[in-house]
Amino acid sequence: MRTADLELAARCRAGDADAFAELYRQHARRLFSLVLRMTGSAEDAEDLLQEVFLQAHRKLAGFRGESTLGTWLYRLAMNHCLDHLRGRGAKMGRSTESLDVEDAFEPAAYAPIVPTAVSCVDLERAIAALPEGYRAAFLLHDVEGFEHREVAKILGVSEGTSKSQVHKARMKLRAMLSQ
Amino acid sequence: MSCELYDDVLDEYVDGARAADRADARLAAFESHLAGCARCQGLVADFANIRRTAAALDEHLPPPRVWAKIASSIEQEERQPWWARSLANTRAARLPLAAAALLALLLGGAAWLGWQQERGSPPQTTAAVQTPDAGTAMAEQHYEEAIAGLQQIVDARDADLDPGTRAVLRQNFAVIDRAINESREALSDEPASALAQESLLDALDTKVALLQDTVALASEIDGDRPDDAAGAAQVNQ
Repeated sequence: MRTADLELAARCRAGDADAFAELYRQHARRLFSLVLRMTGSAEDAEDLLQEVFLQAHRKLAGFRGESTLGTWLYRLAMNHCLDHLRGRGAKMGRSTESLDVEDAFEPAAYAPIVPTAVSCVDLERAIAALPEGYRAAFLLHDVEGFEHREVAKILGVSEGTSKSQVHKARMKLRAMLSQ
Repeated sequence: MSCELYDDVLDEYVDGARAADRADARLAAFESHLAGCARCQGLVADFANIRRTAAALDEHLPPPRVWAKIASSIEQEERQPWWARSLANTRAARLPLAAAALLALLLGGAAWLGWQQERGSPPQTTAAVQTPDAGTAMAEQHYEEAIAGLQQIVDARDADLDPGTRAVLRQNFAVIDRAINESREALSDEPASALAQESLLDALDTKVALLQDTVALASEIDGDRPDDAAGAAQVNQ
């Protein structure tokens, strides 16, 4: 996998347009889904995806294969998303949440409270309502399937923080989906 | 032991970790605790449900226009700055201060030109083929007149510049003239190419900017106001 990534990156650096198109084909769909869920706006997601790949094209010379190309691209994408959301928050005259926000609300219920057949639409809506730090970690871990050590790398946080964010996200989602 | 103290292990359990698969005392303790704890059983069931649904969410396909814009931007970036890169590679440390400042102005102007072009142009995935543009020929003539006027002033002020600055400026003008010549050759090969037309006009525009800056620099060194440069600059507006 790493060898294939390094070869693809080398071809891109050498100016092989087909190689960069291949890189886009391999990752655009997942990255677009992630960015769309982070921003909640198709228009913003298109702009951000474009910025991510343009930055990737400029920065490929610095790719050393220490992580997979996918992880590297996710990190670029997440940085763009968080910058975008913070910028949007600042424009709206409010500060957005940091990666550590208030403790998640836990309903005082013991039995399972989420409907067994929770719908994707309801879950999408609940994810969109999460604080951005929880949302980022949850999307990377539970939706995209990254391990905590990879989530930590992508978000630039510790593995413990990643675990804590995902736990709090699940708690919040549980509360929202039970309503 | 309080349920909350197991929270991190609870999530690992939901993610599939089992004490039987690895020697983990806390996981084993949690599994024992889970057997008799309704709160943790409820959380495990709900988290597993959420996790399962999350993993099954649909992927969204970006519209084709996103790739078209990316390809167009890369193409513009790659064809635009070879001479700007060449100028940037000049060793600033060896330049007299005034020439270094001039170089920065030139590079800033080139970047601005690129930005302006990007804003003004619709996305293109390949060099657009269109009918020969009479406007390009008029614009070229307009630039040539401005360049000729400015060149006269620069030639007259040449003696005001110190030899080091003069040498750097000659080098920079040589780079720009090369860009202009190559753009003309490209346009001669493909008269309908919008890319070649833009490239030529950009190179001419950059030469005008460098000439204006040179006149301003010479005037500054001489202690004069750059009236001539201002007058000539208006030709270009």
